[in-house]
Amino acid sequence: MIARAAPPLAFGALAIVVWQAAVMIGKVPEYLLPSPTAILATFDLSLLKQFGVTFLEALAGFLIASVLAFAVATLFVRFHLLEEGLFPIAIAVKTTPIVAIAPLLVIWLGTGWWSKIVAAVLICFFPVLVNVVKGLKAADVEYLELFKTLGASRSQEFRKLRVPYCLPYLFSALKISSSLAVVGAIVGEFVGATKGLGYLIIISSAHLETATLFSAIIAAAFAGIAMFYAIGFAERRLIFWSSGGGE
Amino acid sequence: MNAIVLSETRGPAIMPPDPILSLEDLSVVFGDLVAIKALSLAVRRGEFVSLLGPSGCGKSTLLKAIAGLVPPTGGKIVRAFASMSASFMFQKPLLLPWRTALDNVLLPVEIERGGNAVDSSDRRNAERMLNLVQLGEFAGAYPHQLSGGMQQRVALARALISNPDVLLLDEPFGALDELTREVLNEELIRIWRSMETRLSTVIMVTHSIPEAAAMSDRVIVFSQRPARIVEDVPVDVPRPREPGDVRSAAFVRRIRALIRSGR
Ligand SMILES: Nc1ncnc2c1ncn2[C@@H]1O[C@H](COP(=O)(O)OP(=O)(O)O)[C@@H](O)[C@H]1O
Ligand SMILES: [Mg+2]
Repeated sequence: MIARAAPPLAFGALAIVVWQAAVMIGKVPEYLLPSPTAILATFDLSLLKQFGVTFLEALAGFLIASVLAFAVATLFVRFHLLEEGLFPIAIAVKTTPIVAIAPLLVIWLGTGWWSKIVAAVLICFFPVLVNVVKGLKAADVEYLELFKTLGASRSQEFRKLRVPYCLPYLFSALKISSSLAVVGAIVGEFVGATKGLGYLIIISSAHLETATLFSAIIAAAFAGIAMFYAIGFAERRLIFWSSGGGE
Repeated sequence: MNAIVLSETRGPAIMPPDPILSLEDLSVVFGDLVAIKALSLAVRRGEFVSLLGPSGCGKSTLLKAIAGLVPPTGGKIVRAFASMSASFMFQKPLLLPWRTALDNVLLPVEIERGGNAVDSSDRRNAERMLNLVQLGEFAGAYPHQLSGGMQQRVALARALISNPDVLLLDEPFGALDELTREVLNEELIRIWRSMETRLSTVIMVTHSIPEAAAMSDRVIVFSQRPARIVEDVPVDVPRPREPGDVRSAAFVRRIRALIRSGR
């Protein structure tokens, strides 16, 4: 683990040193390319606050979307007609870019938390839905026959076979949607907000406060990475028997 | 040798004549594919019956019909008594990879109990089943930590925990290597003959003629699809049998000739 992390860390450190040197020697104006030390100086409590806002919006959207998508997927698998009727519509909604929908969300839900949370929900919902539908159907016919010979009820088959079978599919979707949640929250903030990293990005770019812009970008990336690794950690703990499923 | 034969508790010689299970004019049709056509077969209590036949002739379908997995299109399946229970064992172990060996064995009990959780006596029972298949020490192992043969032993323990009267085996050890298969066949016979479970009757689909001859009281030879009984061959060789038993070798030749005749 440490041995594997060493080369990228070394290259990263080298890149930062080169960057600092280039900015200092070339006297690059700060609004064009701030030096790493100038960016570091903008890491303060207010950045942490904006980070917290965006992270919570993303997390709330991610959790709501995951629960919702799992419930809808369950209904789809249980009631085939629902799947036939709604799945194509879901795919159509999925292909609509979130950037196009976000202004509408602000009109409907205002500039507060909810327009961002719903943007995150919209962007997280579909990957989870698609993969969970796939995962809940992934159990081999032979396993289903086994459960039938054991006289299992539908709900027993669901809880003891289909759901655990689906977990690798669920988690590979959660990893994707966890970083997408941050995208959703920030897009929501772009359109209309008074706080959050998206707001900070818009404001600092308008004022050519490029160092602040950089720190906001770094914080946004960190939010996505943190979510992704947290899910990956849970996945390795929970799914020790499989090397991953789904896409 | 004779003394051993006389002390047998199971075997064709002193078998009660009443069938534990009879198929009467059983037919199974999938769409326009006739898998089984008007097949009649009586299996007696205590019997070990092997089903042999060309691939795709309907053997698995027959077992599934007995297990209630496939509804008969015609005819009927008569059970000797209402409470008669059967367990099915498949070619693949079909263990749940997220459960330990012990929890896999407990699965049928959990399902039977419905909402009620299993108790410590169920756990002890599952441990007993694992001991029966010589896997007592592996109760806490996960399937991916077990070899194919061990996984199939767990599957056998799982099939036995509900204390079935009849065991239905569909090429149970067919996916294993020859040596492992031989050992497991012997284990199966040992468990069937022992009084540790209620198990009395075994119906096994196999592809191996020597295996069928070595293990069974009767070998039923099927025709091409739709499955029809070509021959019902009793194997009245005393138990315990030796693998290289001369007399069973004669049966092997006879059954092989029957299958070759292509009827
Ligand atoms: N569920 C099913 N639907 C349609 N056809 C089936 C089904 N199950 C089995 N069959 C067909 O029935 C025939 C008998 O199959 P099977 O009983 O599995 O043969 P065997 O076990 O003797 O090799 C095969 O032709 C198979 O394709
Ligand atoms: Mg078969």
